[in-house]
Amino acid sequence: MTASDDVLSLPAEEGIREGLRAWRPGNAGGLARWVAAVLGAFGVYAMFLVLQGADPVAVLAAMADSAIGDAGSVADTLERATPLLFGALAVAVPARAGLFNIGGEGQLLIGAVAAAGTARLLGPDTAGAVALPAMALVGGLAGLGWALIAGVLRVTTSTNEAITTLLMNYIAGLILTWLVFGPWKDPDSLGQAYSTRLPDSQQLPSLAGGDLHTGVLVGLAVAAATWLLLRRTSWGFQLRVVGGNSEAARRAGLRVSRLQVAALAVGGLLAGLGGAMEITGVEERLRPEMMVGFGFIGFLASWLARHDPLKAVVAAVVLGGIAIGGNGLKVTAGLSGSAVNILMAVLLLAVLGWARRDTNAA
Amino acid sequence: MPPEAVLAARGITMRFGDVVANDGVDFDVRPGEVHALLGENGAGKSTLMKVLYGVNQPQEGDLRIDGDTVVFTSPVHARRRGIGMVFQDLRLVPALTVHENIALAVPGMPRARDAAHALIVDAGQSHGITVDPSVTIRQLSLAERQQVEILRALMAEARVLILDEPTSALAPQEVDALLTTIAALRDGGLAIVLITHKLREAREVADRVTVLRGGVVVVAGRNPADFTDPELVQHMVGVTVPRLPEDRAPVARDHRPALEVAQLDVDGHDGRRAVSDATFDVAAGEILGVAGVSGNGQRELADAVMGLVASAEGRIVVAGQRVRPGQPRDALDGGAVHLPEDPVSDSVVGGLTVLEHLVLDGRVHPWGSLRVDWAGIEKEGALLREAAPLNLAPLKSQMATLSGGNIQRVLLARAFAADGLRLLVVAYPARGLDIASVRATQTELLRLRAEGVGILMVSEDLDELFAVADRIMVLHDGHVAGIVDPATTTREDVGRLMLQGAPA
Repeated sequence: MTASDDVLSLPAEEGIREGLRAWRPGNAGGLARWVAAVLGAFGVYAMFLVLQGADPVAVLAAMADSAIGDAGSVADTLERATPLLFGALAVAVPARAGLFNIGGEGQLLIGAVAAAGTARLLGPDTAGAVALPAMALVGGLAGLGWALIAGVLRVTTSTNEAITTLLMNYIAGLILTWLVFGPWKDPDSLGQAYSTRLPDSQQLPSLAGGDLHTGVLVGLAVAAATWLLLRRTSWGFQLRVVGGNSEAARRAGLRVSRLQVAALAVGGLLAGLGGAMEITGVEERLRPEMMVGFGFIGFLASWLARHDPLKAVVAAVVLGGIAIGGNGLKVTAGLSGSAVNILMAVLLLAVLGWARRDTNAA
Repeated sequence: MPPEAVLAARGITMRFGDVVANDGVDFDVRPGEVHALLGENGAGKSTLMKVLYGVNQPQEGDLRIDGDTVVFTSPVHARRRGIGMVFQDLRLVPALTVHENIALAVPGMPRARDAAHALIVDAGQSHGITVDPSVTIRQLSLAERQQVEILRALMAEARVLILDEPTSALAPQEVDALLTTIAALRDGGLAIVLITHKLREAREVADRVTVLRGGVVVVAGRNPADFTDPELVQHMVGVTVPRLPEDRAPVARDHRPALEVAQLDVDGHDGRRAVSDATFDVAAGEILGVAGVSGNGQRELADAVMGLVASAEGRIVVAGQRVRPGQPRDALDGGAVHLPEDPVSDSVVGGLTVLEHLVLDGRVHPWGSLRVDWAGIEKEGALLREAAPLNLAPLKSQMATLSGGNIQRVLLARAFAADGLRLLVVAYPARGLDIASVRATQTELLRLRAEGVGILMVSEDLDELFAVADRIMVLHDGHVAGIVDPATTTREDVGRLMLQGAPA
């Protein structure tokens, strides 16, 4: 190269360095890396199965059969994916603002509790067309309020929202337990702790007579709406600024505290809505062990999707499939159904490991 | 007959993809000399230094140490062969002590603390560097950290010391002290490579200069006395840098001032009073320079003016608009734009592109409506990029990946283009910029001045302040030590105010 004629052009070295960064895999090969990480996790899991004396091929085949073997199992997987998706969206929105919502679990539960409470209040004679939207709305608002507590504590007392949202999961769980053992216990339950079953009219209708409830569609629509909110609105942009550098956001005149509280509140709203969908679509009643771990798996789904609402749909379906697939483990390999949790954990580590490398490169 | 070169590079060619950053570069340094490497940002200086230090492996050319060909595959090799480098962004661990940082890099330090401390103090003394081995790095000023880093390289038995833009963040006195240290090390027989774009420093300590431009050597190891300043600048930039306009309209003080500050008290982060009882104003169409040794309240003053410090007390009025402490929107609404002292931590948002940063100044509110009109913003951004007096990185590049100079260009361009600009608060506008960009920036400041914008300009570069400021306010220990007219004041007088807080 001769001495550049246009010496005022972008300095060459910078151009090169920036060019190299843009070229790095993770942009073009993001999907390939993701798939590789998922396959890698399955590989590690296969080794674990071998150590347990199980045949990994058979186990994985059985899992696949349980998860996607026929129309019914696909429907099971999609239904399981739905609350996971809501749980993931509840994480993704605050994550944009740089906040950790680890309270998806509690927000899902409190949404379900509020929906059930709404149904009790309205009584069994209220038509579904009225009751179902009301239950969804109140469930969402309950989740919002639950997360709002953590948001307000964050901006007024600088309490770490990861801790408060996490601890509030336990409170939500205990409220649920208290209700189903106490005031809301079904009198005909013969000693079992669960609430009265929702009347058929107040359960979500199935899609075209199949096994899928309409909440699955609501989940997809909400994911799309969340994507629009984060990617296309000025509010979503402001969240990104706050998440990227809150000091710069403050200096640009953004109301940082307000945005942080709002981000957590919207996250809670989405989880609460998810809780309402789950009780009206799947559970039909409150029981203490309902949705256990769903919020945490949703957290995992959001990280797998790097907090992108549309990718979270894929992540939720994959994790939902693994969870459903785990149900068959006991039969085929004599393993506990919870052995799939190991697969999920490995999956998280694999994907986070790759994401971390990406962050460093940037 | 000059001594043999201790380190010599011949025909170094370093390509990144299609672009050649170094093209057949020859460079050497002998014991007991300072060899200055001059060049604009992107001329290939850093690439060359990274080749010498083993970070980059060149595609062509060879390196020799004492005449033996060597191949460095990592800085570890280079250090083992006596090459030491002091990076611009120092590589010390802030939480560790001087002793611990030195022990990290110097093998064979005594295990006993007292012995190690004595060794460090002795080594410092023999090189004219005073250090306390027991203090943590965090407690030291930038200049002191730099001395620690130099000492560390020397204790690792460096025979060649490469200093990358060592003066870019130092106060004038600190620069002088560093140049004295460099001269002393040179006289002690060390071979020193000084990367800089400041001619004065090159003249003061360099025995030879090499100028790189566009990756090729345009001046090869010549005595700096052979050139005039304009000649050197022309070699560096390839064109003649325009002079600043000399005749400027006098400041009209009958209009509403761009900034009025009265009895302003500001506490710093450590709770200590950082600014005390500051009263001054900036007229519309005036450049008020703020001089002072770094850490004398400049940062807190600028932040308080922008309404960023909730605990500040006093009266701040931007173009007639009262600024309540802790309400940055007041200042923004009044027409103030701020280029902070530490743009990387205060203005750069991770994950956002250059284009997104262009709308982030709190004035072109992309959040005025529900939807962001990115297509329109992109169009505007492209126009801005074309019209900007400074060359901007591509709009789609990630801001956080840019160099300090390129970040500064984006932030300056954004400030210059702001609608309704009444007050520009800018700290160290020239930081990280090459000569042509510095001149373009100063020209732009003068243009804004002519348009009636008030400018509060914090700088440690007295040359720059004397070149563009209408008045210079000197801060000393948070107090306004004086506001002087550069036309009737000498640099020495300003220096005295900076150091002593009072005229002699």
